[in-house]
Amino acid sequence: MRRHDVVVVGAGLAGQRAALAAIEAKCDVAIVSKLHPLRSHSGAAQGGINAAVGKEDSVDTHIYDTVKGSDYLGDQDAIEFFCREAGPTVIEMEHFGTIFSRAPDGSLARRPFGGAAFPRTIYAADRTGLALLQGLYERLGVETCTVYEEWDLTSVVVRDGRCQGIVAFDRRGGKFEEIAAKSVVLATGPAGRVYGRTTNAHTCTGDGIAAAYRAGAALKDMEFVQFHPTALLESSILITEGARGEGGILKNANGERFMVRYAPHVQDLASRDVVSRAIVTEVREGRGFPGSYVHLELMHLGKEKIESRLQEICDFCRTFAGVDPVTEPIPVMPAQHYMMGGIGTNIRGATNIPGLFAAGEAACVSIHGANRLGGNSLLETLVFGKQAGIAAAEYAAKSPLPEVLAADVDAEETRVGKMSSRTVGEEPQHLRVEMQATMDRKVGVFRRPDELSEALAEVRALKARYDHVRVVDTSRSYNLNLTDALETGNMLDLAEVIVAGAIPRTESRGAHSRIDFPKRDDANWMRHTLATRGRDGPILSYAPVAYTRWDPKERVY
Amino acid sequence: MAATTVPTPFEVYRFDPSKDKAPRYDRFTLDLAPHTPVLTALLKIRSDSDPSLTLRYSCRSAICGSCAMVINSKSRLACQTQVGAELAKHGKIVIEPMRSQAVVRDLVVDQKPFWNRYRQIEPHLKTDPNDPMPVGKENPMTPEQVERFKETPRCIACAACYSACPAVEADPEFPGPMALAKLYRFVVDPRDKDTKNRLVRIQPEGLWLCLRCHLCTEACPKDVRPSERIRDLKELAIAAAGTSENGSRHAVGFKDNIAGAGVLNEFKLVRQTYGAMDLLRQVPQGVKIARKKPELLKKPHPIEGIEEVEAIYRALDPEGDR
Repeated sequence: MRRHDVVVVGAGLAGQRAALAAIEAKCDVAIVSKLHPLRSHSGAAQGGINAAVGKEDSVDTHIYDTVKGSDYLGDQDAIEFFCREAGPTVIEMEHFGTIFSRAPDGSLARRPFGGAAFPRTIYAADRTGLALLQGLYERLGVETCTVYEEWDLTSVVVRDGRCQGIVAFDRRGGKFEEIAAKSVVLATGPAGRVYGRTTNAHTCTGDGIAAAYRAGAALKDMEFVQFHPTALLESSILITEGARGEGGILKNANGERFMVRYAPHVQDLASRDVVSRAIVTEVREGRGFPGSYVHLELMHLGKEKIESRLQEICDFCRTFAGVDPVTEPIPVMPAQHYMMGGIGTNIRGATNIPGLFAAGEAACVSIHGANRLGGNSLLETLVFGKQAGIAAAEYAAKSPLPEVLAADVDAEETRVGKMSSRTVGEEPQHLRVEMQATMDRKVGVFRRPDELSEALAEVRALKARYDHVRVVDTSRSYNLNLTDALETGNMLDLAEVIVAGAIPRTESRGAHSRIDFPKRDDANWMRHTLATRGRDGPILSYAPVAYTRWDPKERVY
Repeated sequence: MAATTVPTPFEVYRFDPSKDKAPRYDRFTLDLAPHTPVLTALLKIRSDSDPSLTLRYSCRSAICGSCAMVINSKSRLACQTQVGAELAKHGKIVIEPMRSQAVVRDLVVDQKPFWNRYRQIEPHLKTDPNDPMPVGKENPMTPEQVERFKETPRCIACAACYSACPAVEADPEFPGPMALAKLYRFVVDPRDKDTKNRLVRIQPEGLWLCLRCHLCTEACPKDVRPSERIRDLKELAIAAAGTSENGSRHAVGFKDNIAGAGVLNEFKLVRQTYGAMDLLRQVPQGVKIARKKPELLKKPHPIEGIEEVEAIYRALDPEGDR
């Protein structure tokens, strides 16, 4: 019998921080994760974590930069709370044991990042995510809670109008299990693998977002997908914004520093959506290199600076692109990087389903609005992971412990039994590749109405084919073929929501750039998209943006 | 940027305990550009030929530590190893699961023992209530203090070092390179208040079982250099706890022997290592040696050129007493 007060799904920074908060509130906590906690994708974050702790900087400036960066779609009350928590959060992580880079006087070192008025990004070389993940994991201590490691979330159980637990597939044991819980926190990360060209890990398949959606949760602003300007050409491996923060510059095939034309004031350190559009425009207008890419140059920074502050980047370039950034330019192109949207929550991580909470990239509070600033996502995982953990613990304290019902597990066994018993059917990997090709080509940096409509039709056709998906592998233990099938199903649901949300949004805001509507339209579209699951696809509704002090202005960098 | 592809033969270890009596190697030949990572090739096998091939993987950029395996006899990350160099050197690419960890299925191994070793060194900051952290601000740490961590913060716990280590394979008491590199990270952390205890405790818990073969350092995909950190730990342990262990006494005795004569006095070294009481237990071995190679038990004469040895010692440790 598996029953806990609080079940946290996902063991990255948001999940671990939620678990820690619930443990501190004296709850019996379980973490469910498809990976060992230290292998979570939080560890791949490179650049840093924002906190306005510098003497010249202020929390208000951080708030304003984030509001402006969000293209006025971020909820200003949430952003104010978020930025105020930044300093204490970073200090707490330092006290937990995180090894940050330091300034000569022994204080936390800071670097400039895109869209920020001051150097406010605290870092650990170019592996800040790894440093935080290690620090938090070591503080959490594995003995303090139950960890269901290498378990795939397959559904969120909602009965009597509230969340009562989850069903997950235990990879090693090869079977579905229900874990009953008084409250559940989903911290399962993004669905970046909806795209083929993505900086995300193979495991970022939106399992939690999709399970919440199927259970009746409203997804918010899913059409806002961030494309990181600088991903390595073939592998789409991330080259941190810190590379430009340290002084790296972008050049086109004519050797021109083209960002001067797009963002005259801050040039290469403009907001990510701005830089990504600039790169794609350069390539489309024939100023890219043959093979469609631009150069990121670091050579002028000198060997010592590159190798000390951008050590991982050096390794990545040398290993994965055969390029030495000390002596050669790095070939880069934008790639999917971050989902501003996710499971809609309030500041405390609560969703529209009682007992179900969400945090981190799987959630949408929203603080990033239409475009996230670099250095704000690591901060988000910790600030809102903690809030969700506290809120889930409070909810658990006033709720009875639910029963484990065999029916939920049986439903999953039946669903998967059909996949395994087919003698002919669709290979999940092939459906995944076709979906990724559609999303790459038609739902990218610039969006055209005809291509969006085609994309929706293509994703729906793939969903129809998914009804005949076949799992070839007949072993139960570590059946990755089954994991492929489950993940592909999750991603198809989310791809449909992304495209369905992008079609009616007839404006350009942040990362959503419509070529037929190049301007932001505050009169009609300064509102959040909400998507709930209907019989024939997502049902869209809209909610107002909370704003406190900052009236929308045109965004100029 | 399309590079020409080359037919690349793979031999991949397969074992599904629920079906197979014994492991086998499946052969696949893929047309691949030389810079293709091995992980990409394995995923291609999964999507095009055999979806039942089982392995761990996630980030594909050498930061999550999931895809360590044995590739042409070396423990390393599949995402970080390119097929071209392997093909040039070995003519094929043989893929096997990591060593010293039981196979669960195909390339997936049971990592419990590895993680238990990591837990054993108590990988968390230990604070002292009498010396609390500053309220509302960070602990100051100079860039020089950060330097002392060396490359240990880069560790991604992939276990390639654990798989490559012969001491792990031979001796269940040995914590392994990763756990010891992690211990070093806490020992040099100015925020940790348990430094001395950590150093005292690790001596009987396997610090001296390292064979100094440096295979861990060779295997490490992140240049953490565990064997060098183990060496540092030994120095710090002797400084903090003295020569309380056979291992540390052996090390100090060795140094002392060479300093004196430029060559080992085996009899003296055994006595220095085990101490007078435990020496009795070595008597049977001593009798055997006395019969076969009596010269080993004699006090050696200082070697020719001992002054040069002395000069080296002086250069390394000007204040050392000799």
